Amino acid sequence: MFVYIARRLAGMLLVMLIVAAVVFVIARVVPGDPAAVMLGSAATPEDVAALRVRLGLDQPLATQFLLYLGQIATFDLGDSIFLNRPVAQALAERAELTALLTLMSVSIAVLIGVPVGILSAAMRGRWIDQGAVALAMLAASVPSFWIGLTLIKYLAVDLPWFPVSGYGPPDAGFAERLRHLVLPAIALGIPNSALILRFTRTSMLDVLGDDYVRTARAKGLTPATVVLKHALRNAMIPILTVIGLTAAVMIAGAIVTETVFGLPGVGNLIVSAVQRRDYPVIQGALLVVSGIYVLINLSVDLLYAVVDPRVRY
Amino acid sequence: MASLPAGATAVPAPAAPPKGGSRSPMALLLRQLLRRPLVVVALVLLAAILAVAALAPWIMPYNPMKMDIIGRLKPPTAAHWFGTDEFGRDVLSRVMQGARLSLLVGVLVVAVAALLGTLLGLAAGYLRALDGALMRLTDALMAFPDILLAIAFMAALGPSLYNVVLALGIVYTPRVARVVRAASLVVREMPYVEAATALGCSTPRIVFLHILPNLLSPIVVQATFIFASAILTEAALSFLGVGVPPTTPTWGNMIAGAQQYFRQADWLVLFPGLAIVLTVLALQIVGDGLRDALDPRLQKVT
Amino acid sequence: MTPFRSLFASAVGAMLFGAAAISGAPAAAQTPASVVTVATIGEPPTLDPVGVTSDLVSIITQHVFETLFTFDKDWNLTPLVAAALPETSADGRTYTIPLRSGVAFHGGGNVTAEDVVASLERWTRLSPRGKTTAPLIESIRAKDASTVVITLKEPFAPLTALLAMNNGAAVVVPKANIDASGPLKALAGTGPYRLLEHKPDQYIRLVRFDGYASPAGPASGYGGARAAKIGEVRFVPVPNATTRVEGMLAGQFQFADSLPAEMLGRIKDAPGVTPVVVKPYGFPLMIMNTKTGVLANTALRRAVLAALTPNDMMLAAFGDPAFFAPEGSIYGPGTPYHDAASAKPYTENDPAVAADRLKAAGYKGEPVRIMTSTQYDFLYKMSLVAQANLQQAGFTVDLQVLDWATLLQRRGDEKGWDAFFTYHTFVPEPSLITFLNPSYPGWWDSPEKRAALAAFNGEMEPNARKAKWVELQKRFYAEVPTVKIGDFYNLAASSGRLKGYTPTPWPFFWNTELAD
Repeated sequence: MFVYIARRLAGMLLVMLIVAAVVFVIARVVPGDPAAVMLGSAATPEDVAALRVRLGLDQPLATQFLLYLGQIATFDLGDSIFLNRPVAQALAERAELTALLTLMSVSIAVLIGVPVGILSAAMRGRWIDQGAVALAMLAASVPSFWIGLTLIKYLAVDLPWFPVSGYGPPDAGFAERLRHLVLPAIALGIPNSALILRFTRTSMLDVLGDDYVRTARAKGLTPATVVLKHALRNAMIPILTVIGLTAAVMIAGAIVTETVFGLPGVGNLIVSAVQRRDYPVIQGALLVVSGIYVLINLSVDLLYAVVDPRVRY
Repeated sequence: MASLPAGATAVPAPAAPPKGGSRSPMALLLRQLLRRPLVVVALVLLAAILAVAALAPWIMPYNPMKMDIIGRLKPPTAAHWFGTDEFGRDVLSRVMQGARLSLLVGVLVVAVAALLGTLLGLAAGYLRALDGALMRLTDALMAFPDILLAIAFMAALGPSLYNVVLALGIVYTPRVARVVRAASLVVREMPYVEAATALGCSTPRIVFLHILPNLLSPIVVQATFIFASAILTEAALSFLGVGVPPTTPTWGNMIAGAQQYFRQADWLVLFPGLAIVLTVLALQIVGDGLRDALDPRLQKVT
Repeated sequence: MTPFRSLFASAVGAMLFGAAAISGAPAAAQTPASVVTVATIGEPPTLDPVGVTSDLVSIITQHVFETLFTFDKDWNLTPLVAAALPETSADGRTYTIPLRSGVAFHGGGNVTAEDVVASLERWTRLSPRGKTTAPLIESIRAKDASTVVITLKEPFAPLTALLAMNNGAAVVVPKANIDASGPLKALAGTGPYRLLEHKPDQYIRLVRFDGYASPAGPASGYGGARAAKIGEVRFVPVPNATTRVEGMLAGQFQFADSLPAEMLGRIKDAPGVTPVVVKPYGFPLMIMNTKTGVLANTALRRAVLAALTPNDMMLAAFGDPAFFAPEGSIYGPGTPYHDAASAKPYTENDPAVAADRLKAAGYKGEPVRIMTSTQYDFLYKMSLVAQANLQQAGFTVDLQVLDWATLLQRRGDEKGWDAFFTYHTFVPEPSLITFLNPSYPGWWDSPEKRAALAAFNGEMEPNARKAKWVELQKRFYAEVPTVKIGDFYNLAASSGRLKGYTPTPWPFFWNTELAD
């Protein structure tokens, strides 16, 4: 078992190295020049060339890559070209928002998805089940930016219940911040609740078909007891893992949602960095987000290895 | 987004062993699908959308690129059923043209992902020597959330319809590869494959004649969902301004361009949005129907 | 099983909560009595106004930094950090500039001639405007503690206007903050507001500078007395134009800049919100490559001019005719440099004429590569109409939709493009117009144009300058290096509570108040 874990950890490092290489190559072949963006429309090519030298963009690619790997090894993500601060700091400044947004969206997705999924499985084939499955499919078919635009129109403009955009004034308290995240969390949570709902339903159905559940039924236990006490406990591990994975997916979903709602989070930073050609930020953000993703995936795999003896080490 | 997380697809979906008897598996599958009314409705809807896409050049009421600046932003009328856009172009014609383009993106993405994914998955599943390296590669690709990887690729490749296809094709390849690998690991151990090996059949012959046909159903199911995801992700990429060039009327581009007119001309956002929702919904229902029909595990509880 | 479960939990936990812990709580700062929140089009690339010519940077930094001169409401030169307009020697080569006494820097200390000399020298090194001026400058020196003298190699009329511009700006900063090559050591100027806090992509907080020494005289445009009546001006980047409008209507902002003209109706209808129309504001341009490629041929550029339909282009771009004018004169009616006669070719749009010119020039369908960007929605829209116009006239068009960053990079490569769309903000002095500079992409530099520009720049007398400008505009329409598509006006919105606001291309908030 420990050998397996050590091997997986080594594999993870290898994966991260490939990730770093992919990230570096992508960031460098991006057309467009950060120097030209910074200098504005009246800049002449000479000005741009001079700034490129100052930013180290004139070095050969191989040199830039080696320097980059050296930096990563010391947990240094470099300095943002555009923001005049270390990339790690820029990410940290925006992490709170994205973490809160993810947490709220996951909560919404779980609060909708898990109970409805359980109910749906328990009522398999009946109209409640069919309605829930149909709604889940509908929710998963709607682009999240469309949900966002619609929420803004009805719940922020027509009825001024929530702010239209942004993260509140600098001195806003925690409650105010949360209020700014309600609509984005709904827009992001709804499509993902569909995923959790369907996964919960499938896991429950899996378990409900198992022999011990049949035995429990045969013993004459009430359906509620069977579902909630016996089946749910065993269906919970796959459900928990899918919740974890949903959280990982949401970090990416936040890119679109933060753009729609003008939230200064990590997702927004990535989109702006692409527009501004801020290579270090693109690299750093991709690396950190995919690092989190890899960690979650690894945990899920390990969990499966523990839970499901059929997986070979 | 509607993308399935990595782990959900990583659960091996064992392929149904070849059934004996004279009835073809396809006929069985079709019969099972047609038993479910929702799936039938979805299939009809999908066929209708495909028909519109195929016949668009002949049934479009107007040239979708023809501008009429004076007649801009007109609400739906008898002459323009879906209204006109900010250049006075006919929205109905553009939604039809959009069907052509958005479905083209979806189909091509599926083709790229299925081809690359199947080759990678078979290689990893059957050739043990390659397994480790190939799986690390797919791990690395799956380490990026799909829209993030697509954005990064698009930023690097530049906006074009074929670059979107390439980027999304690469993004979804690992999904197919994982499913194919997992299923081929199971199939590889089946007695009839072992028998073929014992009889001295060549590796390509075993892979393509004995293993691949048994992987078709998980691939088809996966392809349906990738089709749906590709349409949604293309729309999101276009919304962020890094997708198909905005001059091309895909559904995503139509919504992205109409965003600022949402309040005064909501038909501009409504109709392409409905087109996306209906298409993706139909694909998901069909995909679900296929998976249920092919996955014996779900038939345990009646 | 337990260790693994907790590993998983901690991985998720680290992601969800750990990140929040790193960033910590935002710095608790005291909120001044009145705050005006201004929604801008995005995050500025820098807060140092010298090195860049971005309008966004100017809008924000003009509250913090000040130039020697500025413009009054009629775009006449007026002193700011200087005590008076410069004394010019008879040969037009020596400018003697007296400084106001007691002008305080935000970081402490008063402005001296030493600071001004160091600031101007920095401007000639770093500013795109300063760099084009530098070859003409013989010396910049301090005559005494409160007088600066600039000596030129030859007469150069635009000098004072260049010193007054608020982008690529010749701002006065403490000599001690200037590093030979690097950025400013501190963002301290002499303006009515000082920088309190900058959180990129979130906000820039400027607060009243209590030690501010205002110029004398009644307020007029950017000139005259300045008083910081509002305690804090907060600039918030909101790149989505629709969101700027929605936020304005919802009362989140007290001012929102650069709004889509189509939104005028909604802004008018909203209680407590006033539309602000800025006129003149800017002019969209289709810059053509006069150096290489298919449009290096003047006859083809003249065919382009005949093929375009400026009114349709402007209508598609701005929607409401109240927000644009199809105006060919580079300076519109009501400005000193307006001249309709020399801009007549602008009105001669005719696809047939264009087709004839194409044939006469021997055009064989070589693709015309036009670069545009959706980052500026109106440019994108007019480029689509232009594409349709040019195709109708017989051109083969390759319209490339790029993001702005890529466009800025590609336009530097003369082999990569034939035309691109951009816009120019109104500038009071014609020689500040970018495409007149032969090193600006497009590279308009015929001998005739060079002579006309030199004659204009060397002329000091206003009426004679106007005549020489007309000559230059004639060259512009004879050689068509660029098509001026028209004039457009900027729509902004201001809260009904904001009193005393003066519409200008670069909005400023001194002398405004926030009523209760």
